Amino acid sequence: MAKNSPWITPAAAIARDFPAGLTELSPRAQVNLRGILDESSFMTAVKTATGIDLPITPNKVATGKDHKALWLSPDEWLLIGEGEADALVHRLENALTGQHVAINDVSANRTIFELSGPHGHHVLMKSSEFDFHPRVFAPGDCVQTLIAKSQAIVEQVGEDAFHIYVRSSFSRYVGAWLAEALAEYGAPA
Amino acid sequence: MLNIDCPWCGKRHETEFRYGGEAHIARPEDPAMLDDTDWAAFLFMRKNTKGYFAERWLHSHGCRRWFNVIRHTVTHEIVGAYKMGEKPPKLPKPAGGAK
Repeated sequence: MAKNSPWITPAAAIARDFPAGLTELSPRAQVNLRGILDESSFMTAVKTATGIDLPITPNKVATGKDHKALWLSPDEWLLIGEGEADALVHRLENALTGQHVAINDVSANRTIFELSGPHGHHVLMKSSEFDFHPRVFAPGDCVQTLIAKSQAIVEQVGEDAFHIYVRSSFSRYVGAWLAEALAEYGAPA
Repeated sequence: MLNIDCPWCGKRHETEFRYGGEAHIARPEDPAMLDDTDWAAFLFMRKNTKGYFAERWLHSHGCRRWFNVIRHTVTHEIVGAYKMGEKPPKLPKPAGGAK
């Protein structure tokens, strides 16, 4: 965390006053990976470097030991893990040498909010036009959509827990929106 | 509001997309060989179809892919969406003289 720890997101100014059920997570390693899916050497190399079989099904998450991979588009994934991104970037670069790929450390791009508790999906439902009903959206799913008109990635990490990745420059606005959206449900027991 | 069927992400709300105008307009192989009239025709001239219309959409807030949609310009009925390079779906019979 050495590199990221002095770095404060705009949401940090209001994060102390977030109601129960909403927290801003500490910065994580976020690495954007692009490559050609049809080349089997690409998938194999990523598996070697991270232990993850990249999800091919749109809007799914694959979890490995240290990292997870979110499907972003047919040739693009977001790898997320604890700590610094440098080690992961180097491992991927070594494994993918000579291949047509792009590996970028985007850890500072997005702030991560965790929304948890029984009303998490209600808050998302009223903040977005995407259908967050449990029938449609379940743990292991992720989606890129608009949350309160701001582009976001939403990942369901547990039965009642969501991670919301928003652009850092929008994080104060989205954080305030989510806090306000939670207010009508009162403090969860 | 439209529900557009992204070929990758499935049905999503119109606000996630960006419109890209008429589909299937091929860029001339050698623009330098065209005269001004032909170049202007490629750049600016578009059909103003009343009826089923092939158009491009970008899933700008989702997977950021361009794809094609067949939409009826009067009723907004969407017949189908297909990836770039794929064949368009079969059109229903035009109703009420709209073509």
